[in-house]
Amino acid sequence: MKGLRFLMVTKKIFWNFRHDKRSLALMLLAPILSMMVFGIAFSGDMEDVKVVIVNLDQGHQAPVFNQSVKISQSVISNMDRDVLDISYSSSIEDGLKGVEDGTYYSLIIFPENFTMNIMAYKSAMASENVTAIMGINEHSTVSIRSDQAEVSVVSEVNRLVMQAIAETMEQGGFDVPIDVDVSDPVYGDGATFIDMFIPGIMGFTIFLLTTTLSLITFVGERTQGTLYRLMATPITEGEIILGYALAFSILGMAQVALLIAIAVLVFDVMVVGNLLLTFLIGSMLGMVSVSLGILLSSLARRESQAIQFYPLIVMPTFLLAGIFWPLESIPAYLRPLSYGIPVTYAIKGLRSVMVRGWGVAEIWPQLLALTLFATAFLLGAVLTLKMERRRA
Amino acid sequence: MNGVEIRGLCKSYGKIKAVDGLDLTVGSGQVFGLLGPNGSGKTTTIKLLLGLIKPDSGDALVLGRPISKGIEFEKIGYMPQETALYEELTVHENLKLFGGIFGMKKRAFLGREEEVLRIVDLKGRRDSLLSELSGGQRHRISLAVALLHSPEIIFLDEPTVGVDPPLRVSFWKTFHDLKRKGVTIIMTTHYLDEARKCDNIGLMRSGKLISKGSPGRIMKDTGTDNLEDAFLKLASAGSPEVLT
Repeated sequence: MKGLRFLMVTKKIFWNFRHDKRSLALMLLAPILSMMVFGIAFSGDMEDVKVVIVNLDQGHQAPVFNQSVKISQSVISNMDRDVLDISYSSSIEDGLKGVEDGTYYSLIIFPENFTMNIMAYKSAMASENVTAIMGINEHSTVSIRSDQAEVSVVSEVNRLVMQAIAETMEQGGFDVPIDVDVSDPVYGDGATFIDMFIPGIMGFTIFLLTTTLSLITFVGERTQGTLYRLMATPITEGEIILGYALAFSILGMAQVALLIAIAVLVFDVMVVGNLLLTFLIGSMLGMVSVSLGILLSSLARRESQAIQFYPLIVMPTFLLAGIFWPLESIPAYLRPLSYGIPVTYAIKGLRSVMVRGWGVAEIWPQLLALTLFATAFLLGAVLTLKMERRRA
Repeated sequence: MNGVEIRGLCKSYGKIKAVDGLDLTVGSGQVFGLLGPNGSGKTTTIKLLLGLIKPDSGDALVLGRPISKGIEFEKIGYMPQETALYEELTVHENLKLFGGIFGMKKRAFLGREEEVLRIVDLKGRRDSLLSELSGGQRHRISLAVALLHSPEIIFLDEPTVGVDPPLRVSFWKTFHDLKRKGVTIIMTTHYLDEARKCDNIGLMRSGKLISKGSPGRIMKDTGTDNLEDAFLKLASAGSPEVLT
C-alpha cells in the first residue's frame, strides 16, 4: 500500500541487522552497559581512603579516680572506618613522609595538649569564670595535612574528622571549640576541584580524540584499499604502525600544550611540576590511544561499525579512570577495571606532576604502566595487520 | 628468468575455491592478460602473487624469488582495482608518499613524477586534491603511482576501467613502451578486445586456468575468429584444457 511505503525503509534497517548481528548486539548491549557503569560508579561510597594518625595527646589525669582521659582516642574511634583506612605513626616526620610519597592522603595530628585544653575549657566553662575562659588562648586543634591533589578525597577526610569530633562531644556531653587546621597541605596548596579535574579532562580528551581519529582513519585505510596498497610496497606492518604512533604522539604532545595553556590562562589551574613531563605523558597516552584505535579497527569492517565501539571506549574510561572522582570512590570490585584502563595512569601522572609537582622519581609507576600498555597495544596492532594477510 | 612462475597455487574462502591449483608461467618482458568473468579468481591470483593474501597451498616465483620467502616490492608495481589512494591528499602528496616509501631521492622523484604524470596526461592536476578528480582521473593517478618507482614487473588489476578510449590507446602505448624496456606486465581485464593487444593471455574460470597462449593461437585452436567466441567455447567445454 502506498501509504505504508515507509515500512519498507523500516524493514530495510532490520534486514541490515540480519546481516550485521554485531550492530544489533551493540545496539542492545550498549545501553545496558552504560546504565550499569553509570549506576555502579555513582552509587558507590568512598572507601579505603588511607590516612595516618599521629596522636601526641598526653591526655588528662582525672583528679578523682586517678584515671587518664584521652579525648583524642574517642575522636579516633568515632571516625568512619567504612571510608577511612587508618594507620598510626609515632612521629610527624614519618607521617608526613607517608603523605609525601603517596602512601596516605592525609596526616591527622592530635597535639600533646589536645585533651588538656578541652578539659581546661570545660572546667572554666563549668565555673562560669569569665576571666578563666578568656585566659584560654589556645583551642584544641586537630591538624590535617593532606595531599590536596585529590580535592574530593581530602574534603571527605576533613568532613569525617569534624563529624567524629562532633560525635565525641555529643557523647561526652560537652561543647568546646575544637579547631581543625587544614591550612598547611602537603601538596596542592590552594588546589580546588578544577585543579584536580583539569588533568583528568586532559587525559580523557587526548585518549578520546586520538583513539577515535585513528580508529576511523584506519578503518578508512582498510575500506579504501590504501592499506593493501601500502602492504604491496617495501613498508612493513611495524613501520606503518610506528608511523601512525609517532604522528599521534606528536599530536598528543601538542594537545597537552594547548590544554595546559587554556587551563592556565583561562581557568588559572596550578602547574607546580615540570611541563616537559606532562608532554611526555601526553605523547605516551597518544601512542597508547593510536594503537588501541588501530587494534579496534581490525574488528570493524566499516566506519559505521567503528562508531559502535564508542560507548565501549568512552563509557568505562569516563567513569572509571578517575577523571571526576578518585579511584577510592569507585566500588572496590570495579577498581581492577580502573587499573586496566590506560587513561587512569595518564591522569594520575598528569595530576601528580601538575598539582603535586612530582618528578620521574615519583611517577615512574605511571610511566611504566603507560609504556607497557603502549608496547602491548602496538605489538597487538602490528599483529592484527600481519593477520590481515592470512585472513584476506 | 621468468616474470612469474605459479605452481599449484590454491586459495579458498570457506567452501569457495577462489584459486584452484593454478599453474602458470609468464616470461619476462611480456604483456600478459588474465581474463575471465567476475569471480573467476583473477584478482585473488594477483593478490597472492603480491603476498597480500597467503595461499592455502602451492607456491609461486615472482622475478625468480618464491613468494613464500618474501617479496621484493622494490621491483614490483601494483595498481589495484579500486583507486586505493588518499582522497584527502593532493596528487603530488600521494605520489610523494609512495616515492618516499620506495626510497626515491628527491631529484629522482621529481623527474619521475613529471614523467608519470605526463604518461597519464594529468600534469596540470599535480596540486589538485584527489577528491577533486573524476573517477577516471583517479584511476590514471593510480597507474602513475604504480609506475613511479620504475618497477621490473607491474601488476595491473583492471587498469583501463573508466578510462576513455583515446586515453586507453595512450595507456596501451605506455604498456608496450615499458615492455620494450624489459618490464613484465600482468593485467586482469574484462575487455576481450583489449586482450588482443597482449602477447599472451590466460583464460580463467572458477579459479582454474582453462586456456593459455597468444590471442591468435587461442582463436586458432578453438576455431573461432574472436576471443569472445573462443572464451565461450572453452567455458562451455567444461574440462580445463591447458594450451601452452
